[in-house]
Amino acid sequence: MKLRDNPALCDKLAAEYVLGTLKGGARRRFDGYLRDDAALRSLVDEWQRRLAPMAEFSSVQQPRARVWRAIERRLGLRAPRAAWQFWRSESLVFWRTFSALSLALALLLAGVFNSPLVERARVDYVAALQDDKARTALLLTGDSGRGVLTVRLVDNAPVAPDKALQLWAVPRQGNPRSLGVLSRQGVIELGFTRAAIGDDVALLAVSLEPLGGSTNPDGPSGPILYKGNWVRVL
Amino acid sequence: MPDSHSIDPEQLRGWLHAAARHDAAAFRRLYDATSPKLFGCALRILGKRELAEEALQDGFVAIWHGAASYQAQLAAPMTWMTTIVRNKALDLLRRGGANAEIDGPVFDAEIMNALHDPRATPIDALLISRDAKALAYCMSTLEGLHRQVVGLAFFHDLSHSEVAQQMAIPIGTVKTWIRRSLERLKSCLAKGERP
Repeated sequence: MKLRDNPALCDKLAAEYVLGTLKGGARRRFDGYLRDDAALRSLVDEWQRRLAPMAEFSSVQQPRARVWRAIERRLGLRAPRAAWQFWRSESLVFWRTFSALSLALALLLAGVFNSPLVERARVDYVAALQDDKARTALLLTGDSGRGVLTVRLVDNAPVAPDKALQLWAVPRQGNPRSLGVLSRQGVIELGFTRAAIGDDVALLAVSLEPLGGSTNPDGPSGPILYKGNWVRVL
Repeated sequence: MPDSHSIDPEQLRGWLHAAARHDAAAFRRLYDATSPKLFGCALRILGKRELAEEALQDGFVAIWHGAASYQAQLAAPMTWMTTIVRNKALDLLRRGGANAEIDGPVFDAEIMNALHDPRATPIDALLISRDAKALAYCMSTLEGLHRQVVGLAFFHDLSHSEVAQQMAIPIGTVKTWIRRSLERLKSCLAKGERP
C-alpha cells in the first residue's frame, strides 16, 4: 500500500488514530507504518497536540486520600529511613527481638560475672549483640573506670575476606557513632569513652562494611547484622 | 477547591522539572494542584471511582518516571499529564473488556455550556490549559451532534460502529461527521481563532 503517496489519507488516519476510532487490524497496520515513517509520526504528534486537550474537558473531582498514599508507596517516596534506624521502623519483629534479648542478656550476665576475665576488671556496662534470629554473636563489656570496651565474639561470625564488621553506638537522637572496626576473632579491646558511648546510647549495633569501615560518614553503609541494648549494671 | 483556581503552567513546569530530579515534595504539590482535574478526566472515561482512582495512581506513577522526558516545547504540562492519565484510563477500560456504561452526557454541563458559547462561561474557572481553551472554542463551532460524536469517541474509546449504536444513527453518518469535524477543528486551530 502506498499510504505515503496519499497525504490526505495519511492525515485522516493519523487523526482517527489519535481520536481512537481507528481500531482493530487497521490500527495495528497503522502502528506498523508508524514504526518506519517519521513523517507519519509527526502527523500523529500534531493531532495529539490538537485533540489531547479534550481530556481536560471534565469537571474537577476530588480523589480520596488513599490514592496519594498508594502512589507514595509504589514510588517509595516516603522519607526513607537509613538502614541503621531499625528501631524506628515500628517493626514488631524488632521489638520482640528486643525483649527476647533482655532475657538472653540476664542469662548471659551470670556467665560473664563468673568468668575470670571479668572478675579482674570492673565491668559496669554490658551488651549482647544478636542476629535477626535472636542468636547471640558478640558479647560486649565496658569498664568505664579503665576506659576499656571488650568485645568477644561468642560465635565465630563468618565474614567474607573483603568485608569487615564495624561496631556502632546508636544514640537516641542523631547519627550512630563508630566505635571501631572489629578484628575477625577472639577478644578485642577498644577504648570506651563517655564521648563515644554516653548516657544517650541505649543500643549498640554491628554492620557489615568494606574493609576499613563504612563509606558513609553519618553511619553504617552496609546492613546491620547484630544489635543489642547497652545496659549499665551495678 | 481553594487552590485550584490557578494552575499556572509555569508553576506546573517547575514542579515537573523538580520531580524529574526526584524531588518528592514538588511532586506532592504537583499532585495536589492537578489531581482533581486529572481524576475528573479519568472518571469521565471510566465512570467508576475505584477504577478512576486506579488510573490516576497509574498515571502519577508514570508522570514521576516520565518527568525527565517531558518536553516543555511540545505540550503544556497539563496537556501532557492528561494524556498520560487518559491513556492509563483507556488501558483499564480495554483490560476490563466490557464497555464502560455510558450514562449521562459526554461532557459535563458546565463544559457543554462553555463549548456552546465560550464567551458566556468564565472558561478560566474550568481550569483548563490554553490549548484546551482554544480547542473548546473550536469545538463550540461544531454542530451539537457532531461535537457529541467526537466526544463519545474520544472519552469512551469507541469505534465508528459503537458510536453509531450509542447515538442510534447510521455508521456512514458517524464516519462523515467525524471526518468533517476533525477537518473543521484542524483548520479552526490553525487559524488560532480565539474567543
